[in-house]
Amino acid sequence: MSGGGEKGLTTTKTPADFLKSIRGRPVVVKLNSGVDYRGILACLDGYMNIAMEQTEEYVNGQLKNKYGDAFIRGNNVLYISTSKRTLADGA
Amino acid sequence: MLFFSYFKDLVGREVTVELKNDLAIRGTLHSVDQYLNIKLENSRVVDQDKYPHMTGEQDAGNDLGLRLSVRNCFIRGSVVRYVQLPPEGVDTELLHDATRREARGG
Amino acid sequence: MASEEESAVKEPLDLIRLSLDERIYVKLRSDRELRGKLHAYDQHLNMILGDVEEIITTVEIDDETYEEIVRTTKRTVPYLFVRGDGVILVSPPLRTA
Repeated sequence: MSGGGEKGLTTTKTPADFLKSIRGRPVVVKLNSGVDYRGILACLDGYMNIAMEQTEEYVNGQLKNKYGDAFIRGNNVLYISTSKRTLADGA
Repeated sequence: MLFFSYFKDLVGREVTVELKNDLAIRGTLHSVDQYLNIKLENSRVVDQDKYPHMTGEQDAGNDLGLRLSVRNCFIRGSVVRYVQLPPEGVDTELLHDATRREARGG
Repeated sequence: MASEEESAVKEPLDLIRLSLDERIYVKLRSDRELRGKLHAYDQHLNMILGDVEEIITTVEIDDETYEEIVRTTKRTVPYLFVRGDGVILVSPPLRTA
C-alpha cells in the first residue's frame, strides 16, 4: 500500500519492503514440510506469522484443503512468493 | 504469563501430560515454572504395555515395584505436546478475560 | 491502538483473537488435526481448547502391493492444553459477515 503508486516490486530494496509491498496480493507460501498454501495475503508480522484469505492447501501439487481464513505460524515458513494468479493487479 | 498463571492455579489437580514422543504420563501437578516445565507426583505411564521400561520390576501380584521410575517426574516444557485438563479446573469465562487482557498487553 | 476497530485484522494474531469462544481447526506437526472451542491462547499459540476432537493420520505401506494405506484415528478430549510450538496452521470458523 505505502510502497508507492507503482507495482512496488521494482522499487523494493529490502526483504521488509518486499513483505510490506505484497499485502493484499495473491501469494504462495511454502512450508518446511513442502506443503504449499495459495491465497490472498491479509497480513504478516515479524515472526513471519501469516494471515491469509481464500487459502488452498497443496500437498505434492494436489489440492487437499480450502480454508476461508488461515493463520500460519511463522516458524514453519520456508518462503513467501507472489503468485502469478494476479487479481486486478494494478488497481 | 497467562498459561504459567493458569497452571499455577491448577497445582494439586490430576492431569495427563502427553509428550512429543507419544508417551502419556498421568499424575498430580506438583509445580510449574515460567517455561511450563512440569513436576508431577504419583505419576504413572498411561499406556504401560507400550513402554515396559518405564514401569520398573513387575513381580506378579506385588504393586510395590510397579511404576517406580516415574513415581515423581520432572518434564521439560519443550517436550510437551498436550496436557489433558480436568473439566473442574477450567473456568472458561476466566480464561477468556485473561486471554483478552494478554492480547491487549502483548 | 486496537481500541478503534476491535474487529479489524491488522496483524495475524488478530485472526486468532477474533476466534475466541469459537470452534477452530488446528493443524499440528506429526499429522495431527484438532477441532475444538478456543478458550485461551497466547503469542506462542499455546492454547486451551474445549470439546476437542483429535484426528491422527498415519500412512502405512502394504508389504506386498506397496500400496499406501491411510489410516485415521479419532478421539475426543474434554479440555486440552496445546503447546504452541507444534502448531502449523489455525483456521477460524467461516464467518458470514
